[in-house]
Amino acid sequence: MIAAAYLWQPFHEFVFMRRALLGGLVLACSTAPLGVFLILRRMSLIGDAVAHGILPGAALGFWFAGLSLPALTIGGLGAGLSMAGLAAWITRRTGLREDASLAAIYPISLASGVLILGIAGKRLDLLHLLFGSALAVDGPTLTGMLWVSGFSLIAMALIYKPLLLDTLDPLFLQTVSRLGPLAHGVFLTLVVLNLVIGFQAIGALMVVGLMMLPAAASRFWSRRLPVLIIIAALLGSFSVWLGLLLSFYYSLPSGPAIVLVAGGVYLLSVVFGPVHGLLRRPPLLTSQ
Amino acid sequence: MIRCQALRWGAPGQPLTPAVDFGLPKGSLTAVIGANGSGKSSLLKVIAGLQKPLAGNIVIDVPRKGGLSFLPQQQHLDRQFPISLQALVAAGFWGNKQAPEIRSQRLKSALEDWCLTGLEHRPLMALSGGELQRALLARLSLAEAPLLLLDEPHAALDELGQALLWKHIHAWHADGRTLVVVCHDLAAVRQHIPQALLIKSSGCVLGPSTELIRQQPQTQVA
Repeated sequence: MIAAAYLWQPFHEFVFMRRALLGGLVLACSTAPLGVFLILRRMSLIGDAVAHGILPGAALGFWFAGLSLPALTIGGLGAGLSMAGLAAWITRRTGLREDASLAAIYPISLASGVLILGIAGKRLDLLHLLFGSALAVDGPTLTGMLWVSGFSLIAMALIYKPLLLDTLDPLFLQTVSRLGPLAHGVFLTLVVLNLVIGFQAIGALMVVGLMMLPAAASRFWSRRLPVLIIIAALLGSFSVWLGLLLSFYYSLPSGPAIVLVAGGVYLLSVVFGPVHGLLRRPPLLTSQ
Repeated sequence: MIRCQALRWGAPGQPLTPAVDFGLPKGSLTAVIGANGSGKSSLLKVIAGLQKPLAGNIVIDVPRKGGLSFLPQQQHLDRQFPISLQALVAAGFWGNKQAPEIRSQRLKSALEDWCLTGLEHRPLMALSGGELQRALLARLSLAEAPLLLLDEPHAALDELGQALLWKHIHAWHADGRTLVVVCHDLAAVRQHIPQALLIKSSGCVLGPSTELIRQQPQTQVA
């Protein structure tokens, strides 16, 4: 019983811990399906690129409006979407591969962000933007996170079927429906939206970890898509909870603590996961 | 059913043939033959509306929704995708408004038709090439489209699977559907498909398959 109290007490006692936990949990749930689909679409690194690309927009928002949630969100959203859009446009017009075109755009975006922050006089800490602090989630940020998570879960449920077919067999979907490009666009928008709302809570680079690590880990636990998404959400939520506790008791920065817990979960899954994990490989499948 | 006028297709700037005209009537069964790289698969994609023609136009007389079904070559499927065979086949119900009981009944009989019973819950990763091919064909058969475009449907199928395939192709043909089949197995084309479209870099020839495939490797001995 004492141990149980140890695990819950910080959240019971402090409002900022409760907010951080709630925000982190909803974020883990809404990024789980996004991460799983990013991996299935072989776009695992795109979250990383977009997270960097958000920076100039957020910096501009900060420059004009100070540390205000709507300004940072709109700026980040604008920069993230226009970066993803520009990369997609270059790909369509020139045939450059999508990952190469994103990889070329995001340093431009990142450097302009750093430049803007430099001109603005470094009042906004770059480290804070990139690595954030879950413990600084205030009321309005939490409300924003709840709205974004709810919205993206509903939107994902709506586009689930076309997105699944567009990922598995785009030619088939094209012959029966025109929803493929729409589903793709909505999906990318949701990725940017979650990264933007998440970077204010645990930082732009950390939220990518929360999006991709549980999704990559879940692949070692199931072969069924809906189950994969649920497992990813559970692993992400667990990482948020344990990461916050560790950060509370050992005075660690919360963002890295959460992501490192998620990283530990991922490594354990690689070793012990029943689906092609290192130790649990069924003997029948070892050949080939 | 399909009318092509002054049609050219291929990669931008590199049309595969001079402008060609041909028409395939409703209810016809046509094989598309030609050497590697002659543009058989691309022609099928142009007909399916997946690729734009470079010039000319193509009119396909089917309803826009559910009018045609396309069987792509299977290598573009990600075999690691976490989905079961049954879910893959059931995608053929896209846009279908039938009651769930009827659908599950039809799904079951389609799986039986293509000898897939017992494999319903297998992930794609654990299927053989032939099993996956039969699953794609089962998906196609659920859509019940009046125009069927098959790109190398016999690929990866063993003898039994091929027999099953030809049985279904003949049944679809007898049912009044229009079929266009890209096929490399010229002996099978001669035997099963009355009409063939031969694609060469100098143009297209449409004619009875027994005439187009006359000088065939049966003369290997010579």
